[in-house]
Amino acid sequence: MNGDRIFLWLAQVFYATSCVVTLRRLRAAGAGPELQRANYAAMACGFAFHTVFLYLRGHALGRCPLTNLFETQAFITWAAVLFFLLIGPSYRVSFLGAFTAPLVLVICLAALLSPVDVAGSAPPNHSPWIEFHAAIAVLACGAFALAFVTGGMYLFQERQLKTRRLTSSFLLLPSIEQLDVIHFRLLIMGFGMLTVGMAGGIVSYHIVGHWTIPKIIWASSVWTLYGAVVAARGLWALRGRKVAVASMASFTVMLVGFWGVNLLQR
Amino acid sequence: MNLIVIGLNHRSAPVEVRERLAFAKTALAEAHTRLLGANPVHEVVILSTCNRVEIYALADNIRDASCAVRQFLHDHHGLTERVDSHLYEHRDDSCIRHLLEVACGIDSMVLGETEIFGQVKDAYSLAQDAGTTGVVLNRVFQKVFSAAKHVRSTTAIARGSTSVGTVAVDLAEKIFGKLPKCTVMVIGTGEMSAATARALQSRGAGAILVCSRAQERGEALAVQLQGRAISYDQWPNEFPGVDIVISSTAAPHPIVTREKLGPLMKLRGRRPLFLIDIAVPRDVERSCEELENVYLYDIDDLQQIAEENRAAREREIANCQTLIDQHVRRLAEWLENNRAAVEDRYRQRVTGSPVADPAHPQIS
Repeated sequence: MNGDRIFLWLAQVFYATSCVVTLRRLRAAGAGPELQRANYAAMACGFAFHTVFLYLRGHALGRCPLTNLFETQAFITWAAVLFFLLIGPSYRVSFLGAFTAPLVLVICLAALLSPVDVAGSAPPNHSPWIEFHAAIAVLACGAFALAFVTGGMYLFQERQLKTRRLTSSFLLLPSIEQLDVIHFRLLIMGFGMLTVGMAGGIVSYHIVGHWTIPKIIWASSVWTLYGAVVAARGLWALRGRKVAVASMASFTVMLVGFWGVNLLQR
Repeated sequence: MNLIVIGLNHRSAPVEVRERLAFAKTALAEAHTRLLGANPVHEVVILSTCNRVEIYALADNIRDASCAVRQFLHDHHGLTERVDSHLYEHRDDSCIRHLLEVACGIDSMVLGETEIFGQVKDAYSLAQDAGTTGVVLNRVFQKVFSAAKHVRSTTAIARGSTSVGTVAVDLAEKIFGKLPKCTVMVIGTGEMSAATARALQSRGAGAILVCSRAQERGEALAVQLQGRAISYDQWPNEFPGVDIVISSTAAPHPIVTREKLGPLMKLRGRRPLFLIDIAVPRDVERSCEELENVYLYDIDDLQQIAEENRAAREREIANCQTLIDQHVRRLAEWLENNRAAVEDRYRQRVTGSPVADPAHPQIS
């Protein structure tokens, strides 16, 4: 089943191309719209190959390709690119791709280069509930990944404004207000999906009747963390900088915890 | 058959000369037809802005045309003394290059400004309406427009603002995004603060409040800016609803202190505050910048950014020239290849011989 990995590698070529286009855009300093289109096209091509990989893997497994750490990371990054392709043009967030591509590239390359693509232990009683719960939780992670990206952009742009040291990217990046709003929307989307995914997990536990303690601890801490961030931003009017830091920290905790849980299970 | 431009700009002539040679908008169409009718030129475009007057022409004999255009300038404006020492002249390739540099804003007083592009476009369409352009100037101007767009979008020649007012607008847009929802408060009635408020207004800023110790002047400025005047003691009350503050009072001590601002910021929720302090001595205590969501810029900060942007534009000139070279070469080649055909066409027009002669070369 490893022949399909070539497609994920191909996707990385396009994500890397997108990174190069971004560097050129900064260097040329012309803010050429054609470079922005080139960036978007590279991401779309990468996404296409990424999709082919997930399709082939899912087809071979006969189920949603979330059976091991490798597949899960491929799925999360796929979801992140999906959100980028949807949000980037509709909200006119320039330079979102410039920050998304490196993150996706790093996570995918880490997955491709580490020995985590081993046949996972499929649960004994297979249920569509498990797949639903896993898939929607992974989509939530994709939204959180993009929230991480917009949070990083916010911090970068805010720092320039606060310190009055403007780099050549200053005029290319969106306003902090726009970044703050999109960041919050992504958080709400991610949190909503995560909640649904957790509910699906509870249902599938009742059907399948088995669970792993570390995973439950991990999932509930991630849910609590993001719940707190959403509440702080939405209800207590926490300021943009702190929300961005909290969301980025939550994503990091989630990713590290995820690796930990999966390694523990092995 | 040659292209020629004769003109003057802010570098070649002082304003006393430029103002005498400027064409009144209402007289431009007539000037086009007069110049074409009585002189040895085939095509004409006159560009007249506050910083330059230039006449682009196509002629058989370049010397005759040069004399005729110079004479026309003197006659049209009724000049008694010669201004030839202020006039420059470019021919063929160098004429095309000059037009392209003008359209890109490289020849402008504010390097890379974009207003000139629209002015060149207007001048061309006026000449077109007056019927004084032909196959050559049509081609040259249209190609120059697309070339100038190309140069501006692929280089940083027009990037970043170069004046205090527009730098402030750029910053405001990077904080708030769109400006219509923003309320601006002007404290003090200095010329610079009015200009900055106007710059914000021109990009769609919302309500404007003017607050001044001298109530009459405050009210006058409020009328000018179509805003609302408030009394000086009232500014802290209005503060929670304000997004951008432009301060330029003559007060010897800071009027916005950290002590005053801290509690006011709490009333604003998570909305950012942009403080533009253009007063000397400064109106806003520097330590206000330590407050969260406060973005403080004083006159030196804004001037420094404007200066950096100007320097960055200057560094882009070499890149622009490389692109301009390519575009000029292409246009010059076209002109060279079609010179015979164009000459033929204009000769026919003069002699009145039939056009449909297969022996005549075609203009590609």
